[in-house]
Amino acid sequence: MISHRQGNAQRISALDERAEALHLKRDMGIADARAMHPSIDIVEADPEADRRLLEGLADWCDRYTPLVALDSIDGLFLDVTGCTHLFGGERAMLDEILSRFLHQGFDVRAGLAGTPGAAWAAARFCGDRIVLSGEEEALLAPLPLAALRIAPETRASLESVGLRTAGAVMAAARAPLARRFGALLLQRLDQALGRLDEAISPRLPVAPLSVERHLAEPVTLTEEIERLVGMLATTLKTDLERRGEGARTLALLLFRVDGAVSRIALGTSRPMREPLLIRKLFHERLAALEQHIDAGYGFDLVRLSVLAVAAFDTQQTDLTGEAADDGADIALFADRIRARLGESAVLQPVPVESHLPERAVAIVPFSEAPRRTTPPKKPDRMPAPMTIFPPERPIRLFRAPEPIDVPATEMPEGPPLHFRWRRALYRVTRAEGPERIAAEWWREAPGDPAASTRDYFRIEDADGRRYWLYRQGLYGSASQIPPRWFMHGVFA
Amino acid sequence: MAMTAVARETVFALRRQIAKIEGTLPERLQAPAAAPLDAGASADPTPGGDLTIIRRGLAAALPDAFLPIGVERLDAALGGGLPKAALTEIHGLETRDAGAVAGFALSLVSLILNQAQGLPVLWIGTSEIFHEAGFPYARGLHAAFGIEPGQLLFSEAPRLVDALWVAEEAARMTALAAVILEIRGNPQRLDLTATRRLHARAQGAGRPVFLLRQAAEPEPTAAPVRLIAASAPAVPRATVAGPLAGSIGHPAFTISIGKSRTALPGQFILEWNPDERVFDERRGEEERAENPVPVVSLSGGRKDPAAASGEILAFPTLGSSVAISPTARDQPPPGQRAAHLSPRRAG
Repeated sequence: MISHRQGNAQRISALDERAEALHLKRDMGIADARAMHPSIDIVEADPEADRRLLEGLADWCDRYTPLVALDSIDGLFLDVTGCTHLFGGERAMLDEILSRFLHQGFDVRAGLAGTPGAAWAAARFCGDRIVLSGEEEALLAPLPLAALRIAPETRASLESVGLRTAGAVMAAARAPLARRFGALLLQRLDQALGRLDEAISPRLPVAPLSVERHLAEPVTLTEEIERLVGMLATTLKTDLERRGEGARTLALLLFRVDGAVSRIALGTSRPMREPLLIRKLFHERLAALEQHIDAGYGFDLVRLSVLAVAAFDTQQTDLTGEAADDGADIALFADRIRARLGESAVLQPVPVESHLPERAVAIVPFSEAPRRTTPPKKPDRMPAPMTIFPPERPIRLFRAPEPIDVPATEMPEGPPLHFRWRRALYRVTRAEGPERIAAEWWREAPGDPAASTRDYFRIEDADGRRYWLYRQGLYGSASQIPPRWFMHGVFA
Repeated sequence: MAMTAVARETVFALRRQIAKIEGTLPERLQAPAAAPLDAGASADPTPGGDLTIIRRGLAAALPDAFLPIGVERLDAALGGGLPKAALTEIHGLETRDAGAVAGFALSLVSLILNQAQGLPVLWIGTSEIFHEAGFPYARGLHAAFGIEPGQLLFSEAPRLVDALWVAEEAARMTALAAVILEIRGNPQRLDLTATRRLHARAQGAGRPVFLLRQAAEPEPTAAPVRLIAASAPAVPRATVAGPLAGSIGHPAFTISIGKSRTALPGQFILEWNPDERVFDERRGEEERAENPVPVVSLSGGRKDPAAASGEILAFPTLGSSVAISPTARDQPPPGQRAAHLSPRRAG
């Protein structure tokens, strides 16, 4: 028995058959139930875990249709339009779903109808019923108002005026109903009867392309999965070629016999359709995920979906059949690294317009720029710098400027003579600067110490190492915060 | 060298035979005539004789198997430059040398990019080293080494084993101009086998792999060359009016050859010219004169207590060392003063 807290009292939120046999009911107080049957076993409800379980089931239902939606806390919508023939018809499909759930240990009711509303009512009030199109009215008419998916308050007020079944509501005049009970009631009714379209909102975006293979004998070995990926990718290739596209995001779904679903997604730097390459990428990904994928009793359905596509421009090959393209190598290399080590394993710098050194370069995950059809023009000479003396910048920059200890200097505005960094004392022999970099007032909040002006010095220590220091804040300025010194970078 | 010429010939013949059996061609290098004799390691000591250096395992037939550094002495010592298709170790003795080590490696990359234009450079590092020594800064790299931000790829691996894997994958790519692998300390995993794998892949692809090791002790690796880089004080900026006192000019590195099949250990001070993108060597003596690093000025006009008890001669001979010593100048012996004054009195 599951209890949950409602208001100030613990109440029964769900109970099993044996508890029902003891004449316990939902929403009964736990104290009352205990008084009746002191030996009952009560577990606190965990909505989060329920939700996870339902999502797991929804993932598993993905094998029947890509359009799976969650329905409140205890239901799933499956849009099986066009999918039933794959399983041998509606009845066969329904039976298979029910028997598989039964084997997984779930007690499931299902209904199949032409509208989500009718299916919902059929599942909850009739059980295992297939409603043919046109029969929705006959199905709904004898059912109680709850079958219309309306709020309890609306239901109570409808009952108070004597409308106790869906049929009664259908028979009543529409205009007064709408006026008195809101438009939602009629909307729900029309949706259930198929007069209004209702779309379920699928949990996952529908893949433009996906291929799958049902296996009579479940597979457990990674090598077998890889081989299957290769086979599926070969099938995928013809589809992609027909559409003139390549895959940008691929997902591999492994449906375990006992209902668990592993979803392995990876992105590619450039549109891809070559089965060998796809297999290679999944090889890396599977190798990286080896510990996280539990094959258990094996996977009986393997599906390869293309989640995102992009136009694939075919490359002209030379007579030996090889297309010379270094970029492809790099892209594939980056994809493989990322498949194994994660999205941020290959990074590239992108210059940004900013005077603040740490903002002037953004480090972003590698992605290929739109491919140039002609090789880049080699400049005859260096591009002219913006200024005659471009500012000196270090070759390495600390991610967070490291505070250094500077004893009180003789020249408050000048560079330090000594400083202590990482517990070592450095003697400054030469210094250049200051280079004043003001904060970006349009970004920083005023009064923030990080927003004060920085004076950068390029210094050389007694051993010839060159560093980039800065002083944050000014001596003798209006603010009372004393200036602090930081180590920000290292020169060659 | 105590080895006789006959014995050496035998050794060379045996090496060739071994190389033949191993399937790699021995390489016969002609060291430049300008090379000082102490620079060529197994050089023939007989004057005028051919300098014969046997190297195995390098692509011998390729004339451009070496990357000339552009400094004659160092190139001669290394037998033509750094091997292009190989693993090259660049060590820094302390983490704070990371700037110099990376700077030297990047200047080599810059030299490579002169030939392989447009190809990207991959810099792999562990999270540890990027945290300790700072992340590469693209603007600085562009300014100092002319490497475009679009040519740079970084890979940060949380674990060493991942970094090594990325490096191995990258080393076999011909689409990369160079691979830099940066690692801190002497990890167990970076052993002879791991470096041999990197070296073999670099050889296969014909691209250099630079293994930067910060704060590391030299240990046996498969890299044919190991250089130890440290900073050297920079010369002041050159202006029209001469060197600008107190300024910090082009970056300079002290490079020591830690290991090479051809060279004896040696030390070189190289200066990188970011504008021309070439190395200049700084020779010891001539540079010392214009090196501005604090030469303490003599305390003129004051008594120098340290040298006060020096020898004082009554009549120093002209041109003796005492005449220019500050002590003697400040404190002329009484006799000399008398001699100085006497003409006036006489006149």
